[in-house]
Amino acid sequence: MQSRNKSEIGNFPTSVEPTASLSDIIAATDTLEAALPPSAPKFNFGFLRNVTLEGIEPYLCYRMLTNRVRPRMVYGGYGSLMQDLLHPNSPLTTGRTDMLVTAIMLEELDPRYGLPGWTSSRARDELEGVFEALLANGAATIALNTFIVPYRSEIGVMTSSDASDAAAEVTRLNEFVRDFVRRNSPRFCLMDWDRLVHLIGESAATDYRYWYLSRAPFKRAFLDALAKELVKVVRALLGRAKKCLVLDCDNTLWGGIVGEDGLEGIKLDGHEYPGRAFYDFQKTVLQLAERGILVTLCSRNNEQDVFTVLDRHPWSLLKRDHLSGFRINWEDKTANLADLAKDLNLGLDFFVFVDDNPRELEMVRQMLPQVTILQVPERLYEYPALLLRDGLFDTLATSREDRHRAKHYQMEVQRKAERGRHQNLEGYLRSLELVASIHPAGLGEVGRIAQLTQKTNQFNLTTRRYTDHDIQGFLASPDSCVYTLVASDRFGSLGLVGVFIARHRGQTAIVDTLLMSCRALGRHLEHAFVLECMQRVGTTWEVEEWEAVYLPSAKNSQVAAFWEIYGFKPQEQGEQGQSYNLGAPVPTIDPPAFIRIERE
Amino acid sequence: MSDIENRTRTVMTKVLQTPAQEIAAEASRKNLAAWDSLAHMNLMLALEEEFGVEFSDQEIADCDNLPLLLDTLRSKYT
Repeated sequence: MQSRNKSEIGNFPTSVEPTASLSDIIAATDTLEAALPPSAPKFNFGFLRNVTLEGIEPYLCYRMLTNRVRPRMVYGGYGSLMQDLLHPNSPLTTGRTDMLVTAIMLEELDPRYGLPGWTSSRARDELEGVFEALLANGAATIALNTFIVPYRSEIGVMTSSDASDAAAEVTRLNEFVRDFVRRNSPRFCLMDWDRLVHLIGESAATDYRYWYLSRAPFKRAFLDALAKELVKVVRALLGRAKKCLVLDCDNTLWGGIVGEDGLEGIKLDGHEYPGRAFYDFQKTVLQLAERGILVTLCSRNNEQDVFTVLDRHPWSLLKRDHLSGFRINWEDKTANLADLAKDLNLGLDFFVFVDDNPRELEMVRQMLPQVTILQVPERLYEYPALLLRDGLFDTLATSREDRHRAKHYQMEVQRKAERGRHQNLEGYLRSLELVASIHPAGLGEVGRIAQLTQKTNQFNLTTRRYTDHDIQGFLASPDSCVYTLVASDRFGSLGLVGVFIARHRGQTAIVDTLLMSCRALGRHLEHAFVLECMQRVGTTWEVEEWEAVYLPSAKNSQVAAFWEIYGFKPQEQGEQGQSYNLGAPVPTIDPPAFIRIERE
Repeated sequence: MSDIENRTRTVMTKVLQTPAQEIAAEASRKNLAAWDSLAHMNLMLALEEEFGVEFSDQEIADCDNLPLLLDTLRSKYT
């Protein structure tokens, strides 16, 4: 999009709801882009297509910009799929593509589609070739589309005895695509066009005029829905997935007020409405907990009353065990939310707050604008869809670690109680019996390592975001190495909490990445980790000196002076950050004595 | 200037991202670089939203200039 002098064009609102007119959405994008801070990340989309998808631009740009990311879009030719992927000068192979998105339709892929006797085998063969080329492509993430199963059957109401009708063939082809994505996830993800039209319907999704005039088959509802799905993936890749759900109780987890209606009077039921809507809502809360999202409560109530419901109500799916924290008192909810954030060592911008009371929500919106607020809708029958609808918590992969994270925070509560019993910090730390297991990363850890690079914001010296593909690259190269820290104490394991990536150039080792998960901080584990890694890397590569850099971000100011602890000397202040140099193979400081190091 | 022409010009400035003074009375796809095929599709869709009308496939293909566009809208919009 060309930039123009804004005063010439006119004063258009910079914040428009997605329900605004198309012309207002287009007009707003320039102003939104100009308002972005210089630190806002760029994100490059490449479209591999045989149909016209450019109509998505207003919606995709608007959604990306309101998420404070600068989008750039590049399109391949029409139906030159292999050339676009293989030719070194194609727009899709030059420059960095963050996400390659396919827009491939059968009508253009196979000219025999729709004719009697058509089978999907030719299309499948071509797709296999395309997928193989995609596996070798440099794009970090690839989003594949499914095909839209025909709306009308060519055989009418009868059922084909050998499942050879077009719908069955397309369904099989889609299974092939889905299976490929499953096997190659998370680098590959799915844009399920068939499910989207299922959601939206043929007439709201399809514009046959533009299909015939310019091979652009989709209406606004479909394009905006597809843009929304793409942005969910972008948010996940940029480490912005929400991690914590805070729930009010009365008229949120159940209908009614437990302090007034009592256990028998509140509405929460697996059969009867409206209780069933709350029951179905609780199911979605459990689904999120299963994915490793932290679930907490924030309610104006007596603790006793709330826990009576969780412990004893026959239809409460949510139990005490699901909670990673709670603030049930008569105090101001804004203060309670801030407390929860401190307890969980999590920024408020990772929080989602659900309440039925618009006054409470408005106060949070004003005082803590970084928290995403959701209101229990008046149309209670639409309530159960609320938490999953916008993909706020979406990540591209979950690991066992995610699912155990809630348990870790519960254990953290225990540790904090323990802390009160010790006179000083050192006594407390010694009593924890910390063990740091530090080893070169294995292939099985790639997913968790990539995830940590995407999600860790505070203790992160360089905030470089890597995908599984990138980590595998580091592992495969002889000039780079990846070390991981798995920590535990006498209360249990903290899991994989540290990542150290180094490269070397001759006799100089360069720290590319050093990060620690929030939950492992405050125990000096980072010192044990860094010293051990530098020792081992220094020996393996016979280094004479080290280079490191601190790249400041909105969230990592706590590690600004980190390298100085190890005797690194500051060098020049570059455009992006401060570089450091250590003129020795290892630092001279000793590791913390109370941490036992396990090597493999 | 009529109400239809006013509103059409407003939509055009937003969609083509071109100041009003640069949209001549004889503006067309031939003389306005910003009015490319993607902009044309968005323009016709935006005008349908603005006036609550629907263009036929023929009208979409034919209305590549402002005078004809305004005539077409006048005949559809009451």
